[in-house]
Amino acid sequence: MQGKVGVFVSIGIVMAEQVKKEQAVSGVPMVTATIDGREVTVPKGTTVLEAAREMGIHIPTFCWHPKLKSVGACRMCYVEIERMPKLQVSCATEVMEGMVIQTASEQVLQGRKAVIEFILLNHPLDCPTCDKGGECDLQNHTFAHAVDDSRYSFKKARYTDGTDGTTFDDKRLGPEIVLNRNRCILCYKCVRANKEAFGEYDLGVYERGNIAEINSAPGHEVDNPFSGNLVEICPVGALTNSDWRYKIRVWLTQTTSSICNMTSSGSNILFYKEKNHNKIYRVTSRMNDSIDDGWLPDVSRYGYQIATTEERLKTPLIKKDGKQVEATWDEAMTVIHNRFTEIAEKKGKVCLGGLASPYLDNDSLHSFNKLFRTVFKSNNIDFRSDYRMLPEGADSPYEMLVDQPFTIADIDDSDLIISFGSDLIREHPNEYLRMRKAYNFKRAKVVSINPYAVKSADIAELEVIHSIGRAETVLNGICLAAMEMGLVNNQDLTGKIAPATTAEAASDAGVTEDDLKEVARAISSAKKISFICGEMVSRSIARDTIASALWNLYLLFGFKDKGQMAILPRYANSRGAGSLGLLPSPSDGLRNTLSGLWGCFPESDPNNTDAMLALMRKEEISGFFIIGANPLMLYPDRQFVTDGLERLDFLVACDLFETDTTELADVVLPLSSWAEYDGDYVNLEGKVQHARQAIKPLYQSKPAYEIITMVAEKFGAPLFESIEACRKEVDELLSMTHSTKFPSQFLEVKPCYEDAEEEYPTPLLICDDPHHCGHRTEKSQSLSNFVSEAYIEMSPEKAEKLAVKDGESVRVESPVGKIVVPVRISDCIDNNVVLIPRNFASTQVTSLLMRKRRLDRVKITKVDE
Amino acid sequence: MFYSPVRTNASEAEKNEKLHLFKYVEDPQQKNVETFESRNGYSAWKKVLSSMSAEQVIEEVKSSGLRGRGGAGFPTGLKWSFVPKDSPKARYLCCNADESEPGTCKDRVIMERDPHAIIEGMAIASYAIGCHLMFIYIRGEFGECIRSMERAAQEARDRGHLGKNIYGSGYDLDIIVHSGGGAYICGEERALLNSLEGERGMSRIRPPFPAIEGLYACPTIVNNVESLATVPHIINRGASWYSSMGTEKSSGTKVFSLSGHVNNPGNYEVELGFSLKKLIFDPAYGGGMKDGKQLKGVIPGGASTPFLTPDMIDVNLDYESLASVGSMLGSGAVIVFNEDTCIVWTILKLIHFFRHESCGKCTPCREGTGWLEQVVRRIEMGQGEQGDIEKIEDVCGNIFGRTICPLGDAAVMPIQSAIKHWRDEWQYHIDHGSCKVKSEFSFQ
Repeated sequence: MQGKVGVFVSIGIVMAEQVKKEQAVSGVPMVTATIDGREVTVPKGTTVLEAAREMGIHIPTFCWHPKLKSVGACRMCYVEIERMPKLQVSCATEVMEGMVIQTASEQVLQGRKAVIEFILLNHPLDCPTCDKGGECDLQNHTFAHAVDDSRYSFKKARYTDGTDGTTFDDKRLGPEIVLNRNRCILCYKCVRANKEAFGEYDLGVYERGNIAEINSAPGHEVDNPFSGNLVEICPVGALTNSDWRYKIRVWLTQTTSSICNMTSSGSNILFYKEKNHNKIYRVTSRMNDSIDDGWLPDVSRYGYQIATTEERLKTPLIKKDGKQVEATWDEAMTVIHNRFTEIAEKKGKVCLGGLASPYLDNDSLHSFNKLFRTVFKSNNIDFRSDYRMLPEGADSPYEMLVDQPFTIADIDDSDLIISFGSDLIREHPNEYLRMRKAYNFKRAKVVSINPYAVKSADIAELEVIHSIGRAETVLNGICLAAMEMGLVNNQDLTGKIAPATTAEAASDAGVTEDDLKEVARAISSAKKISFICGEMVSRSIARDTIASALWNLYLLFGFKDKGQMAILPRYANSRGAGSLGLLPSPSDGLRNTLSGLWGCFPESDPNNTDAMLALMRKEEISGFFIIGANPLMLYPDRQFVTDGLERLDFLVACDLFETDTTELADVVLPLSSWAEYDGDYVNLEGKVQHARQAIKPLYQSKPAYEIITMVAEKFGAPLFESIEACRKEVDELLSMTHSTKFPSQFLEVKPCYEDAEEEYPTPLLICDDPHHCGHRTEKSQSLSNFVSEAYIEMSPEKAEKLAVKDGESVRVESPVGKIVVPVRISDCIDNNVVLIPRNFASTQVTSLLMRKRRLDRVKITKVDE
Repeated sequence: MFYSPVRTNASEAEKNEKLHLFKYVEDPQQKNVETFESRNGYSAWKKVLSSMSAEQVIEEVKSSGLRGRGGAGFPTGLKWSFVPKDSPKARYLCCNADESEPGTCKDRVIMERDPHAIIEGMAIASYAIGCHLMFIYIRGEFGECIRSMERAAQEARDRGHLGKNIYGSGYDLDIIVHSGGGAYICGEERALLNSLEGERGMSRIRPPFPAIEGLYACPTIVNNVESLATVPHIINRGASWYSSMGTEKSSGTKVFSLSGHVNNPGNYEVELGFSLKKLIFDPAYGGGMKDGKQLKGVIPGGASTPFLTPDMIDVNLDYESLASVGSMLGSGAVIVFNEDTCIVWTILKLIHFFRHESCGKCTPCREGTGWLEQVVRRIEMGQGEQGDIEKIEDVCGNIFGRTICPLGDAAVMPIQSAIKHWRDEWQYHIDHGSCKVKSEFSFQ
């Protein structure tokens, strides 16, 4: 390879600059440069491209992406810099003091035009049949640079699909993605994003030079849970998805800004609907640096299809002679009014209960709350339908930790990120990507503490895999290790936790003492920590014990001054539901505000989901109103829920489509999806985000707010004068100065282990599939293209022991139930644990679970054909 | 006797004290560590570890004026000094032994016949930059070099030249011999580092320069085999000895790989500033044109440097002289063409090579080399069109200086000079659909 004689001196100067920069003390200095005759001052390290964009000067790009490292591959972003003889790529050139930059000089325009000419040499120019037409970077840049003819007189190189000898190349890379290599301009953005941002290796580059091609890894499909982004960032029509392709031209659509209803961080999205028609065609991201960085997990991207599915409930249904038949809203409302009144008169109003979905917006949740507290005078209300045996009271260690402030963007500059009891990809995909970003760009240290090898731990410097059901002991062990090593001064914890030494804790928890010490050292030396706790804490029956242990860790290491620790809520508006007091017994502050707003607050016994289901079995709750929730599919003890719901005198259930729960209902009401009305949602940080109405409610469905207010009106007790009045109340509640509570001293943590049973030896975890979320997403066609049925995920060793192969069925039995599911062998699970996703109604996986157990244990046997 | 029986001027080196790189390359025993040690081998490494600081080593190499022998000619000592002194990260030295520039075969000889010289040089360079794990990235096709270096590395470990606490100095150093996958681009340092990390061999954007963030994002120095093999001699005999050779700006000696239509193709170590004419025509070196044909042109520094015409060959072989006649010293591969050479055919061969070796990362090189090959092939096949020459020039202009790594420049520089010097021949091809040069072209 050759370099150039004569330029080494200037390289030397630049290199010397680099050295200086590296050696400079922290604190970012500013530099001033001139771009197109205007002066600009930016922090050192800013690229010319970014500085120009900031000034409103548009420099065209293909391979550049604001959230990926610059590679300077496409060469489209040339600029001319004084005293540099060659054109420079602005995406990879840092602004230096005194630089004089031209972004549109003759030489620059000539350079860009040459790049477009090169790119178009073998590009098929099949714009009329290309889905990217109208939003294609190549089309736009070609247009802008007036490249109107080609000097290339050879036959264009073509990939063909091999069937008919045409130039059509259509290679399916995965369940959703289709690749057209002829259109590809090799900007490598997809491969880079996949690897850099998502940590996935299922897409790669093969061959080299002008026959290089993007393709899926041999024997693999591009089916990772972030793959939809690859289509979105493709600058041309090379990557398309079945969701959108050949359905509509982009200029016939209009966009609506909204937020995603699937993740608790509330990714910002755009709905694309056909102009003048009531149909959504796709969802893309709407970059919000503080939340999603412009990446959407597939569940957010394709989740909108739950709204457009044909399976939507079209009219209200009323059960007549054991059969649900179509009815009008008026009929349905009359039945609801009559039956609830009947029950209330017979048994008193407290025998009514309600369960709302945390996917609903603030207005709906607040009106539901008001309906129950003021009209039905009942404290039988909850929004949590999938966590067994929740503790009571807002001051429990668990609730205090759920309520902790957490800022997603703070993950970026944390130098230590700990994921504890959380399979981040499944639960919090946005935060998972943030963690990768901090690791990639800031070399943050990642620690994963889980009972099995989660996939997100691939970037973990330290992965602690502990015996399942011993989470609190690991935490105690970390505290003990810190005290024993003298990393912390406070010794007050001694005696409050068991066991008493690191060694014992390590052996109890099935980890090594070194691991515990290493975590303790990492925490004590970190400057800024993000400690993310997930579902394995919130779903555990020992959640209070684990939360207490977390609090001890928090206090011992002084987290208050150096980081954030929270159990992250799981659904789109979980945090909002909590803040609005949709709990049986809200905190005193909330309760006072609510009774101030409404002039009353019921005194009846507060009952959460579990308690309400128990009361139904005792026939002390006889009328029940479920809006958006599906406890039958999600509550961990299907038999318990069925017993309860079946014993009700009257059940109203509202949902988007028929579910296990609506099947039991006496009246079923069609609910509108979040795309069909305006609503506010509180994300996991406590940030209120507005989702705009993209389309009018489909069929006869109605938004939850309308349904609830209709019911109230039927009872002669209108809730609000208008929706504005409701929003005013919501605003007041959300603006209440929220005092986060901390325990004042160390808490006692006595581990509560559950003995293993010989007959049911394998611990079972229930969680979401990475492509699904809750009970609704299996109705999304695209998401079920990825995964459409439940499976049991197990390690290769376990499969070998059971003598089963991938895809073969096994019988999974617990003391209370049994199901048959196919096996999926995965490297991302071990420690004797198995995992079944809960997103598929037909599997009825909750029938294996018992509500009073800490660990679900099962027996797995091969099904003989 | 040797795996690659390349002719060298070792016999001259025995008489000429100045020539040091090739002194023992004709001795099959030289590759054994005992022989190497008996000839003062590893003495520089011992000297460095026992009595020199890293700064002193860098200073010595800096003042010797040694410039990188891989092609770019960047001052070696200056490069070493760019490694941040206070970085908490590991530092790496990587010897670039991916010798793949067409016409170049000097490193191969050193690796096969005198591997310990490279290890010693690498060790000294490692010490200078504070590296404890050094790599040698050897071109995948060089099977014997890989075997030779691996054997030498093991011998060096066994004899305590590498390992923990070397010579009781407390300094640890080990070597990893890595075989490349056979891509020209991996001879470019940033692509080499990518390849070494297990990524695709594609150049990286800089800054950051490898000296700041190279292998595994740690400070890394990449040096050519010949540069490193020179280092022990500089340490042993002193910087002033080295800088006394050659010219003011190009000190020392350099191995030139002479190939093409000459009587004695081979590797010749000469002082920089040596006459190109002498190299080709002196019986001790090239021995003149084969079969008494006339000289048509010379590529002086490997396939990617511009041609010289016969009237230009009265030039000295050093960085500045070659630059003054519009070419480059490059890797020192002198390729000689006789009068029977069809220039279009030659360029077709070259552009085919560069098109095939373009990594595909940046647009101008990826698309441009393919286009150029098509046009040049059309001309060579007698189907050239009027305006093709101008088109080639224009496309070359759109590649030159606009790519990430120098491959794009390398691909177009010989084309540009071939058109400049022999435009009439190109035009003849287009006008007549046949070649002006009658006899068949063939490389030896």
